Amino acid sequence: MGKMERFSFVALVAGIIFFLFADFISWALPMFVLKDIPKKSVEDLAAEAIAKNTTAWSDFNKLARYYPESFKKLCNYTEAYSGAAEVIKDCKPNEKTFAKALRIGHRWYIAEGCWNCHSQMVRPVSNETLRFGIPGVSNTVSYPSEFQNELQAPVLWGTKRIGPDLIREAAVHNIGWQVAHLYNPQSTSPGSNMPGYTWYFEKTKDGKIVPNERGIALLTYIMWLGSWEVKPPKPFRIETAEK
Amino acid sequence: MAANNQELQNLVNYGLVKAHVAMGLIFFIIVALMGFLYSLQLDGIYPFGGIEFLSPGRVRMIHTAGAAYGFLVNMFTGLIYWAIPRFTGYKVLSNALGWFMFIALQAAVLITVVAILFLGMADNVEWGETPWWLDPIIVFWLLLHLLQFGAPLFKASQRGPLYVTGWYMSAMLVWTPLVVFMGNLIPRFWSVGSGAGAVQSTFIHDLVGLYVTPVAWGLMYYFVPVIMKKPMWSHGLSLLGFWGLAFFYPMNGVHHFLWSPIPMFAQYSAVFATVAVEFAVTSVLINFMMTLRGSAEQLKYNVPLRYMYTGAIFYWITCFQCAFHVTLTFQKVIHFTDWVTGHAHLIMFGTFGLWVLGMAEYVWPRLFGKETMYSKGLSEGAYWLLMIGVFAMFVDLTAGGLVQGFDWIGLNPWIDSVNFSKPFWYFRSVTGIMMITGLFMYALNFYKTATAKAGLTAELREA
Repeated sequence: MGKMERFSFVALVAGIIFFLFADFISWALPMFVLKDIPKKSVEDLAAEAIAKNTTAWSDFNKLARYYPESFKKLCNYTEAYSGAAEVIKDCKPNEKTFAKALRIGHRWYIAEGCWNCHSQMVRPVSNETLRFGIPGVSNTVSYPSEFQNELQAPVLWGTKRIGPDLIREAAVHNIGWQVAHLYNPQSTSPGSNMPGYTWYFEKTKDGKIVPNERGIALLTYIMWLGSWEVKPPKPFRIETAEK
Repeated sequence: MAANNQELQNLVNYGLVKAHVAMGLIFFIIVALMGFLYSLQLDGIYPFGGIEFLSPGRVRMIHTAGAAYGFLVNMFTGLIYWAIPRFTGYKVLSNALGWFMFIALQAAVLITVVAILFLGMADNVEWGETPWWLDPIIVFWLLLHLLQFGAPLFKASQRGPLYVTGWYMSAMLVWTPLVVFMGNLIPRFWSVGSGAGAVQSTFIHDLVGLYVTPVAWGLMYYFVPVIMKKPMWSHGLSLLGFWGLAFFYPMNGVHHFLWSPIPMFAQYSAVFATVAVEFAVTSVLINFMMTLRGSAEQLKYNVPLRYMYTGAIFYWITCFQCAFHVTLTFQKVIHFTDWVTGHAHLIMFGTFGLWVLGMAEYVWPRLFGKETMYSKGLSEGAYWLLMIGVFAMFVDLTAGGLVQGFDWIGLNPWIDSVNFSKPFWYFRSVTGIMMITGLFMYALNFYKTATAKAGLTAELREA
């Protein structure tokens, strides 16, 4: 027994061998099981949303149309931390600007601690598919491939629900609701205890309160959540957009 | 006596113990205030609405990350600067390195605070909210920590077997840098999605199970027999407890994300390992309770010892609760509710918080050459406020969590669960005030003990 009670034995057996064994079961093997699901970069996600004409893409177009000045500022806005360090000259809703908005929005979603009160995971139990989606439109359980992208590294499943889950949010509320709710949550949800995020908004010359460049990015990110699940995306969306 | 004291002073660097414990206490109060501030948002009476850098979401990250790095790491490091040299008989590697590490740790915590509050640079790993570019520096710090404390442990084990505390410390010193590296850097650079989720959940529980728990139990195995002046009841149970914990604890993490897209075998193994850990914990608890047998009278007079045994009982309550709520059945209701928050507060504040406060209260007067704390009244008052406060918070949040969980299953409008929770949240803020008041009393007692001019003696006087 004497040997078992020494620094080198404990450090080697408990410290390294047990630890590696546990890591192998807890995450190395699960990662191996999931390795065939392709990992998407933010650019891939943007391209996919455009190709499939999802609600996220049409909502991004709407934001650009409603708030053209903030959109222009978004093109010029740079930050190194989220990898959006480039000024975009071709300032139109396109793959590049969409990816940039997603990156910046994702960064501030984390920085504001949104994930402390909102989860991003619909579990197959406790009626969650009914609660967090819209039946027939978007009510699937969370599945591995929808998290297999750069915006889920580290994953944003969350830790506590003060507010509802957000991974099917695109199907639940429209962009107008989101803008009003982000500025003053009590205006759309009486009794809510979510704080208002007024620093994502600014006053225009004619006195209107509109989302600023970070606000547009954050709203783009929120409206992206679950947009890949909204059915049927294509015909429905094109008709409304062309009218 | 004087010569003996001199020898001890050469062995233990009193300055480092004082500095770490004092900073740990300051950060404890700060993170408690941050938690209280965040709870005011839930009550709908947040005083700093509309101020970007005091947004409740950011404050909450300071509460959690600060509790890990500001409070616990400081307190634990201070206490092991006291304990390891004393039971091994060897000094730590270097005093200069110790001061460098002390300053680096405070700098890391302050950088984290600035980054999260003012720069919006946070990481969405719970307990790893530090911005990712700081994480390699923390890993480097932990490698220095391994050298600093590994040296006396290594030297002592050249001479013979280590005492129980030494096993826990040896394992912890190796685990911690690996855990921090794994949890903060793998999910960002080498893995995404469900795989990252598996790593993150392993990290959350490993930081608790492979840093906080072994340090805390190691210190308990040191301080409890020292205070009671008798050995542990059973060496066999000490062995069983340590190796049970070392084998099963690292596998627990995935239980944070049950019913998630992580492959089920990982979820099942986590549930199994967690239930197994509760058996190991129970063996440790039996050992401590049997050690107390015949000395329980001391709990009446000895506040540090009372802190330790209160914490131990809270520890067992938490683990007993965990053996049930880790199951997939309980998770249907309680996941994402305040039940989990109550559980986390009982273990982090009720157990580890009370333990370090007890240990620090034992060490503090001795660091200043005094026999006792400045005020018995402050000491007792702080104990009761902290103990009742944290247990009331635990009961309140557990009940609130059940209300939320069943309300969500019932498909009522979301706002109902918020309204139903409000009484529980108000009460939680009140318990928070109790705990913070207790901490202030405790800190005042510390300050007075350190600055008291006359030597404080522990002589019993006739009333």
